[in-house]
Amino acid sequence: MVSITNAHNDLIHDAVLDYYGKRLATCSSDKTIKVFEVDGETHKLLDTLEGHEGPVWRVDWAHPKFGTILASCSYDGKVIVWKEENGRWSQIATHAVHSASVNSVQWAPHEYGVMLLAASSDGKVSIIEFKEQGVSAPIIIDAHTVGVNSACWAPVSYEDGAAAGEQPKELRRFVTGGADNLVKVWRYNSETQTYALEDTLSGHADWVRDVAWSPSVLLRSYIASVSQDKTCIVWSQENNKGPWKKTEVQQDKFPDVLWRASWSLSGNILALSGGDNKVTLWKENLAGAWEPAGEVQQ
Amino acid sequence: MVKLAEYKRTATFAWSHDRTPVLVTGTAAGTVDADFSSDSTLELWSLLAAAPDTPLCSLTTDARFNDLDWSHDGKFIAGAMDSGAVEIFGTNNERSALHSFAKHSKHSAAATTVRFNPKQANLLLSGGSTQGEIFIWDTTKCVAGAAAASYSPVLPGNAKTALDEIKSLAWNNAMPQVFASAGNTTYASIWDLKAKREVLHLDYTSPDNGARAQFSVVEWHPSSSTKVATASGNDADPIVAVWDLREANKPLQVLRGAHSKGIMSLDWCAHDDALMLTAGRDNSVMLWNPDDGQLLSQFPARSNWCFKAQFAPECPDIFAAASFDGRVQVQTLQNIETSLDAEQSASKSAESETDFWNNVSTDDGAVETQKPTVSRLQAPAWYGTANPAANWAFGGKLVSIMPDGRSVAISKPVIQGMEPNEMLGD
Repeated sequence: MVSITNAHNDLIHDAVLDYYGKRLATCSSDKTIKVFEVDGETHKLLDTLEGHEGPVWRVDWAHPKFGTILASCSYDGKVIVWKEENGRWSQIATHAVHSASVNSVQWAPHEYGVMLLAASSDGKVSIIEFKEQGVSAPIIIDAHTVGVNSACWAPVSYEDGAAAGEQPKELRRFVTGGADNLVKVWRYNSETQTYALEDTLSGHADWVRDVAWSPSVLLRSYIASVSQDKTCIVWSQENNKGPWKKTEVQQDKFPDVLWRASWSLSGNILALSGGDNKVTLWKENLAGAWEPAGEVQQ
Repeated sequence: MVKLAEYKRTATFAWSHDRTPVLVTGTAAGTVDADFSSDSTLELWSLLAAAPDTPLCSLTTDARFNDLDWSHDGKFIAGAMDSGAVEIFGTNNERSALHSFAKHSKHSAAATTVRFNPKQANLLLSGGSTQGEIFIWDTTKCVAGAAAASYSPVLPGNAKTALDEIKSLAWNNAMPQVFASAGNTTYASIWDLKAKREVLHLDYTSPDNGARAQFSVVEWHPSSSTKVATASGNDADPIVAVWDLREANKPLQVLRGAHSKGIMSLDWCAHDDALMLTAGRDNSVMLWNPDDGQLLSQFPARSNWCFKAQFAPECPDIFAAASFDGRVQVQTLQNIETSLDAEQSASKSAESETDFWNNVSTDDGAVETQKPTVSRLQAPAWYGTANPAANWAFGGKLVSIMPDGRSVAISKPVIQGMEPNEMLGD
């Protein structure tokens, strides 16, 4: 166990390890991002990244094949892309298309290229692609009235039912959760070159705070949504089509608001973070119900 | 998305206490329409409606409105009518119809303001335009039943000195028997219904010019029961004074320097006591931090007095502001200049003179593209609350923020009944 005490002067909102688990990025209300080197039980502060004008809500590491790249989003309405070269960090791009707080930022599966998904309190999500010849015009979608709290890519998957010898059709999707209590699934249409609403999932009685699409590529897709209403719903879909089945992780309400959901990399353990400062772990049993898999001791 | 909605009415309004709020508007008293009509309507609006510019439903009333308030349990909407009546309205569950439940003409002249009690949903305060009239109503008795027709409201007890027109009333958010009033006088009053009298006077003399502030608006702190804010409607010194009643001889904080004319409305955010909205006769709406007295944002000015600005109580990212410019606007607190705005203004300055004159008549969006001037970026409390924010990482590691909010732990939880899957990196 590694513990980094007093990493920031104000509240930390996100902490993410890179692909190899060697570097940790943290972000805070103190408007900074810190990058730590983690090796076994030891850690070392590598750099403090300054540039945002408000609290920084989330950070995400790009796939290492693109270099050492980090994206961050803030209450200042901006997404900043940071790059490390020869031990020095610099800002390589600023994405400023949102008129309110950007609440989540996530890199797309690396197969799609260098592409970001950002969700904002202005009710929109934006998708921006960084190409060798520069940045493409962002795709901006009206997603949730009164604000989008979180957006998450689906893992790369393909449409079912391709004829023999035919190239299966890529299914590029993401999920959003908003202040309208809804979870929405969006799908890329290569002809119109934008994303269209595929499904609207209603089940929460208050703001959806976070959505997480399980990264495992199975026949069944899983989305976890957590809410201000103190519940977590796992939505599942067979063979990437048809209706989404709703399963509540726990019949009773959780003791406090649920803020974050995270799937383990193989997709089978769900970690839920609540306002009571507890992190609980959940797994699906053979009957399709969710059962506790432990609590993280802090 | 500065403006989520704009209703072309000169109307006062009230928000419902829902997470997805509904707005009720009532034709404002004291204004004259272009066609000299004296009609008055009460209308219900939803941001989520299929046709957001069309009310969900409406009701014609026989008098115009000075104020509206929605009870905290959602049951009733109270109107302070220009006729002197206090009228109680309600909606059906579908929000597709408005009804008038009761009308009591007890005020000797126009009713000026109404406020429901946040703790006891059935209690309603109303103020009148003469002789400091303040009434306390009980909706369990004055709305329906045999005795409703002959119902008489209760008086709050004795004032220390004779009051004039009541312009603002506010119930304490913790003590249901305590309220504050302000009007056309140089002081604000604190009342205790148990003591049956006015218990405190608040007054403020400007250190600059020796003038006494004319307190026209009062509002309580959302959680600290001894703190109250008063705003001055005086054009000479439009200040907000924040008081702790335990030391009522001088204010804790004075908010000044932003409004150039008298303040007509003040709202203290229920979900973040470090946010306050004011609006006034200088046609503008301001966002403040009442703790340190700093101005946070100034919203684009309207073309006439802005008489009411209020956060949606359960969705405080948005607020509504009503002005005598004939519009009720619903806006977001935050509206940052984006790179797309910059492109738009660049294309605008690049357009030829002919293009300009071609577009000018259709350019209704001039106000829409105006952004608030942000003096200080302060994230509201309902964003990014301290939380453990656990994230899984490669190798079955879990990164989580510690309860102190300032430290991070990386652990490798052992999952009951599951062998670590080395292949998948668990």
